[in-house]
Amino acid sequence: MNKSEMNNPHMDSPAKPCKAIKLILLLVAAVPLLAGCWDNKDINHRSLPVIMGISLTEENQYKVYLDIPATNETSSVSIVSETGDTINEIIDDISMNMETQVDLLHLKIVIADKRIARRGMEDIISAFNRSRDISAKTLFAISDQPLDQFFSEMQAKSEQSGSIIYDYFEKNAGWNPQLADTRVWQLFRSIHSYTHDVIVPIIRSGVSTSIECTGSAIIKNGRMTGQIGTDETLVANAFYGKSAFGKIEVMDSATVQITSNRLTHQSWLKDGKPYLRSHLRLKVTILDSRGHPTEAQINEKLEELLTLRLNKLFRKTQKEQADILALGQYFRKHLTREQLQEWRSGYYPNLDFKLSVTTVIENRGNLKNL
Amino acid sequence: MELKERLAAYFDGNADYFNVDIRLLQYQVQMIGLDSLVDLPQSIASLQTQTSNLDHASLQPAALLNILGKLVEPKLEAIVPDIMKGNLILFEPKSGTCSSVLPIPKNVTRSVTSPETENTLYGASSAFQEDVDTNIGILRKQCSGASMQVETYKVGKHHPRSLFLIYQEDRVDSRLLRSVQAKIKEGQDQEVHHIQQLGNMLGMNPWSFLPSFNMTELPQNAAHSLQQGKIVCMIDRYPFAIILPSHIMDMFRLKDDYNYALPFMYLIRLLRIIGALIATIIPGLYVALVSVNPEVLRLQLALSIANSRQDVPYPAFVETLLLLIVLELILEASVRLPKSVGPTITMVGGIILGQAAVSAKLVSNLLIIVLAGTTIASSTVVGFQNSVTLRVFKYVLIILSAIYGMLGLLAGIVVVCAYLGHQTSMGVPYLSLPAFNKKDERNG
Repeated sequence: MNKSEMNNPHMDSPAKPCKAIKLILLLVAAVPLLAGCWDNKDINHRSLPVIMGISLTEENQYKVYLDIPATNETSSVSIVSETGDTINEIIDDISMNMETQVDLLHLKIVIADKRIARRGMEDIISAFNRSRDISAKTLFAISDQPLDQFFSEMQAKSEQSGSIIYDYFEKNAGWNPQLADTRVWQLFRSIHSYTHDVIVPIIRSGVSTSIECTGSAIIKNGRMTGQIGTDETLVANAFYGKSAFGKIEVMDSATVQITSNRLTHQSWLKDGKPYLRSHLRLKVTILDSRGHPTEAQINEKLEELLTLRLNKLFRKTQKEQADILALGQYFRKHLTREQLQEWRSGYYPNLDFKLSVTTVIENRGNLKNL
Repeated sequence: MELKERLAAYFDGNADYFNVDIRLLQYQVQMIGLDSLVDLPQSIASLQTQTSNLDHASLQPAALLNILGKLVEPKLEAIVPDIMKGNLILFEPKSGTCSSVLPIPKNVTRSVTSPETENTLYGASSAFQEDVDTNIGILRKQCSGASMQVETYKVGKHHPRSLFLIYQEDRVDSRLLRSVQAKIKEGQDQEVHHIQQLGNMLGMNPWSFLPSFNMTELPQNAAHSLQQGKIVCMIDRYPFAIILPSHIMDMFRLKDDYNYALPFMYLIRLLRIIGALIATIIPGLYVALVSVNPEVLRLQLALSIANSRQDVPYPAFVETLLLLIVLELILEASVRLPKSVGPTITMVGGIILGQAAVSAKLVSNLLIIVLAGTTIASSTVVGFQNSVTLRVFKYVLIILSAIYGMLGLLAGIVVVCAYLGHQTSMGVPYLSLPAFNKKDERNG
């Protein structure tokens, strides 16, 4: 403020608001021109589907199921379905026929039919990534039974809560390390990466529980090529470092819990043949034991069992040329990009992979003797 | 005799004007003053006691009047201000000498009371609610060092008032002091009846959303500010100490905090900062989450919010504004109304309106919680004028959130921060941190 203004505060104060008001009016007038979200819909005018199911009809059309938890007291969940040629078209159709707008931002799980999984899901995954309203973090699962049946049984069971399946996969609710945990972005990566494949959980509606897991599907390039059991999934998860805590391992004589795991790798290439030596160190706690095995016996059996399981898993994936343990990652520094393109077909089947497992029994489950 | 008539003519419309003759020693003296400010009988008695001990013969009228008071020119212009101040004028007509005497005043002030607008917990509870001399007296007791200076200025042409500038010589920033002194001297002709006029005189931006002054009723706060090197202003008949300049930390700091243990002091200040953030951000966050970006919410929360918003006819923006305005009305009403009616407003507003608005499905349950939290949080900051500031910023964030969602909320916070950063108070940036008062060994 300059001197003359200071001497005449009553002179300058009327001028200032006038300028300010003009500025504010200008700003207000500019608001409609800006790309503001005037088409905002309040949360109660949106349907928030949690689960999307995708299956194929006889005419090779997609059939999409949406599991929408209800926001009123009378019902808990509603399942809507529609058929069409593309997924986005179907969602649009559903949205048109519903009283609220379908908003896929909260979608947590995508369940694909086994038929689709075997045929290839590249189109679906790219569609998810293109339409930006589906989060890349969305979980992926494959259904062992027809989706019609799956969803109708789900609806019958979800009397109280509409989000059973969501809780089933939720890390702080129902998730167990025997369950694969694969997101849409990981599937996308597996399609476009030369050295990375994924496993996807296979579920079906259970007899006494709502959902049952029957193992995991091996997905290569977006296509299901094989299946592994829950035990092998557990080992795979341990290999990824995911299963670190709260894991239970059953043997003839004892059950142990993995408390932490650590992996080291050594890779080299000799005469065009890849060699990999991995060492898995596990710290375990004994939960229960039958008879009185010694610690050494338990360690030995555990190491034997884990090595066997992992080797079995490895051979299976080697046969199917699907690198679900992402072992190719360790050869990225040895191979050129052109050579990496051949990883799955050229190098992986010849991979000499030896895994050694060391287990350390951290404590005997608070008991003095075994 | 001419003076008496002229005075009588001047005070024609004032019923409390008196001009009585009394006898002091051997002289006949006129006593002139205002009945409403001077206790006449007591003053006469006091004057007569004083004079009865004096030596009769040798004393001239001028000498006598000089003993009793201060000699003034026997002119209307010289006498009237003294009378208006509440002084007593003694006029000896024969010699034409005139003197202004400090009388025994009518008691028009109360004794020191406890604060009305600021509550203290574990602190001295006397307040600046009296006339300015008492107030300065209270302050002097709080701040007993030798370096406290009290400067006085007469401001205003038609209704002059005294403005006191109080500072600690060894702590105040001399540049700040000089600029305040210069501004007051420059604007001495301006009337200062309220804070806006004072702000005008000191060259503050009248359109600023931030408080240009911190006002306090508590002597300990004023004394603390003096120690920090700030300047305290007092206006005659204005029951607050006005502290210059004001800072962001004045929102969160209180002298009484030092009466807690150190960890609690910092926790309490942290709580006030959190309160300020909640009060400004939460309503905007609600609007952004409910209408623009519900994907940020956890699924369970999203479902329960959607459930509680079932059948609410308005968009979240309108809903929030609706209830916020009602809340502002309640707040304003409970400030305005006498204490006996205030609780009624609170009850009607809180219980009847809140419950009815939810059951009528005008607003959602969650919004009631959000707004209650906001209102409570905005009052955690120190000083009512600061909580008014927070109340204003809240609306900026709501509007931006309604248009651009979370992005708008974030942009709004940036805008508010930029605005705060742009403001200065007497040349000191509003956001300057305790570096300003580094002379205070406790640094805050």
